[in-house]
Amino acid sequence: MQNSAFFHFLTLLLFKQRSKHIGAVLISVIIIFLLSSVLFISSSLQYSLMDTLEGEADFSVSRIQAGKAVNTPVEWMEKIMEINGISGLTSRVYGRYFFAPRERSFLIVGVDLFDEQNSRQMQKLAERLDLKAFLSEESMLVGEGVKKFLEKHYYKSYFTFKTPQGRFKKVKIVQMLPSQANLVANDIIIMPIDLAREIFGISEDEVTNITFNVPNDAEWDNIVAKLHLLFYDVRVVEKREIKKAYENLYNYKGGLFLILYLVTIVTFILILYQRYSMVYSTERKEIGILRAVGWSIREILKLKFYENLIIVLVSFLLGVVFAYLYVFIWDAPLLSRIFLGGANLSNHVEFVPVVKFGLLGSIFLFYAVPFLAAVLIPAWKIAVTPPKEAML
Amino acid sequence: MVILEKVSKVYNEGTTQAFEALKEIDLHIAGGETVVLSGVSGSGKSTLLSLIAALDKPSSGKIEVGGELISKLPDIHASAYRAKRIGIIFQHFNLLEALNVEENVIVPLINSGLKTEEIRQKAAKSMEMAAISHKASQQVNALSGGEKQRCAIARALVHDPELILCDEPTANLDRANSLKFIEILRSLHHMGKTVVVATHDPLFEGLPFVDRVIHMEDGRIVEPAGAAPSADLTEES
Repeated sequence: MQNSAFFHFLTLLLFKQRSKHIGAVLISVIIIFLLSSVLFISSSLQYSLMDTLEGEADFSVSRIQAGKAVNTPVEWMEKIMEINGISGLTSRVYGRYFFAPRERSFLIVGVDLFDEQNSRQMQKLAERLDLKAFLSEESMLVGEGVKKFLEKHYYKSYFTFKTPQGRFKKVKIVQMLPSQANLVANDIIIMPIDLAREIFGISEDEVTNITFNVPNDAEWDNIVAKLHLLFYDVRVVEKREIKKAYENLYNYKGGLFLILYLVTIVTFILILYQRYSMVYSTERKEIGILRAVGWSIREILKLKFYENLIIVLVSFLLGVVFAYLYVFIWDAPLLSRIFLGGANLSNHVEFVPVVKFGLLGSIFLFYAVPFLAAVLIPAWKIAVTPPKEAML
Repeated sequence: MVILEKVSKVYNEGTTQAFEALKEIDLHIAGGETVVLSGVSGSGKSTLLSLIAALDKPSSGKIEVGGELISKLPDIHASAYRAKRIGIIFQHFNLLEALNVEENVIVPLINSGLKTEEIRQKAAKSMEMAAISHKASQQVNALSGGEKQRCAIARALVHDPELILCDEPTANLDRANSLKFIEILRSLHHMGKTVVVATHDPLFEGLPFVDRVIHMEDGRIVEPAGAAPSADLTEES
């Protein structure tokens, strides 16, 4: 009963004084929107990358000479196969093809389509791919970024590569990879392994690297040690290192935004505090009047608390909803560029909706607590002032 | 009803700017009396009303209202005392500008524990008494001075207080509205309310329903006058 009259008065006051709160709401919504957008983008990219990495081999082995990666001998595969605990041994041929006129590059990945696993992965990546047609003439699959780039330079259905021997190789563009894969496949060209060898000038007894899985992760360190014993010039890259590198990258970018957020929110809170502390503010007089007609300090603080809690909740919800729409429906037009970095080719990524409620909760606390403190502390100071002084 | 014994109030006590606003005031006001505190600005009238309303605390002395010692009440009790027993009408009306008349009138009852409908009914009765019902949904910032004063009166009466304190109630009103206000005071007197008016408006001198006029000067009671003379100042045609 009492609460009903109180909350009725509270909503009445909020409605009647909405113009007083509009500034704080707008700024809050913008801050929460930006921070939530960053959170959503970061989480989605991390999720997509980790999901992609899950399909990758546990280990990648290549040869280095004078600190530089060089082609890896195929004969290494026989020796690696002898190590216990290894499965799914595969070789890969890939590299960067440089398009000189525009100083852009494509990542060419050669795939052995007679390998069952590769064939299955290809079917997954390129829906409705007619493998027979793909193999009947020299063809390639291209990522969306590659397709758009080539079309812009008038290569609509084929592209002519120049081999290291100075020969030209015309390759047909069969299909574009799905745009959902743009995060990893935007600048990729997939072609048969022999074609890739020809374009890069890699002989049949060499590959770019060798990959394999080690199901028992307790054995991983052992496997690395054995590889170093087998080959003096080996470079071993573990999937977990790549995962960590990506996590660090996104943590770093997220950390930058967190610092920006902290600076912005501190500034905002100081402005809010100043506003509510103003000697001749209407809040001061309002509190004085309430005190004079019989409201206690506790009742006034309760009013101010709920009044501003509603503002905080509304602002937070609006900010998060706008951020969700911006990132997951409209694909974050400007902000995504910051996270995707200085892309080689322009990339349009569709973000997978990933919402980490724990982090959202943290954002809420980091925003709501300072906001309420900035309002309630001055309100309390005014409320403990003799009402006569407050009403002046 | 109201007993003040040796009440003093010093502002900025203990500093070089200490100012003694009230000096050992002794005053008894019986229930149902209408008392006028008269005196020039700075004589201590408003300070005395503030102390009776528990808006401030005396530096020394004792104040009792209706048997309750209010001079040293903690805030929560002082607020409850004002909310239940006191109605205050201020010189500058002190209304909440964002709200309309009815919304201002119900403010003292928000935390009373009453249902919304009961609060509305009390507000309607109070506005009728103050002759401001016809402006119930009007924003207070669109009211005239006299209407604002009547809104303030309605607010002061909504919780049916036993003691009504008026601080310079006609200072911002023209003569016509001042006379209207005096009529309302007359009604309150006939209802048996205890009314204390702090004013230097000469209109309050000689009112028949005023039981006493107490003159204050320099923080002291100079002359606790007797019953008012027979002149009847109603609204002049």
